[in-house]
Amino acid sequence: MKLIQRDGESFLFHISKREKGLLLEVLKMYPLIPIAHHRVSRTTAAPRAVESQKLLESALADRTRENKRQLLAMMTLESRRQEADGGHRLKFTAPQMEWLLQVLNDIRVGSWIILGEPDGKKAKSIELNDENARYYAAMEFCGLFQMTLLDAFQQSG
Amino acid sequence: MAETVEPVVMPDIEKEEQTGAESELDPGYLVICWDDPVNLMAYVTHVFQVVFGWPKPKAEFHMLQVHNQGKSVLTRESMERAEHYVHQLHSYSLHATMERDA
Repeated sequence: MKLIQRDGESFLFHISKREKGLLLEVLKMYPLIPIAHHRVSRTTAAPRAVESQKLLESALADRTRENKRQLLAMMTLESRRQEADGGHRLKFTAPQMEWLLQVLNDIRVGSWIILGEPDGKKAKSIELNDENARYYAAMEFCGLFQMTLLDAFQQSG
Repeated sequence: MAETVEPVVMPDIEKEEQTGAESELDPGYLVICWDDPVNLMAYVTHVFQVVFGWPKPKAEFHMLQVHNQGKSVLTRESMERAEHYVHQLHSYSLHATMERDA
């Protein structure tokens, strides 16, 4: 996937048929991060800690529902598009790019959690097997798509 | 049937409300971003730019602090503002918390 044109707040990408298939397949995995994974504070004794945590979980649950709704709409639209020039065109506005970055990162971080939170600094590696290999692939694909979107922002900024 | 009107004694809540309001306005909450091995450095920089409106060098400075020192204090705010920023950062799946400044 690569940026081929930017017009103001509008970004036009070319994506190959294979890449598009992968992207849509990966996006189907959303959401992956359990809401309870998000912690508002490390200090449970902080004033209003319980209310703040509930507020965060409620806000994230609302956002996840809205993201899921938008994602389904986008996937339905994209699955109907005709192929052109050996691939497809994807057109996003800047807010849509931000939204897609959030969705992709949820899948990336969620996959990392499912893989046991591997950490090179702590010599905690991934033990791949038939069940979790798809999450490793999703984590890497999301990273690649995210970098493409971030590069597009940089080129335009 | 006529309603019986009895004198109502209101609890003295004025002082409590004032204390609560002061606490919410007190800029004594730190918004901290913690290191994790999964978020991409370019992504973290981008999120700091978007959420705080920072220029890229400042966003990169804090991203590198997170990466090298394990955490970075991003801002010191009132409780309400700190909550707002933490919600924003979590919507991007960053590991961020708000902590009372000691």
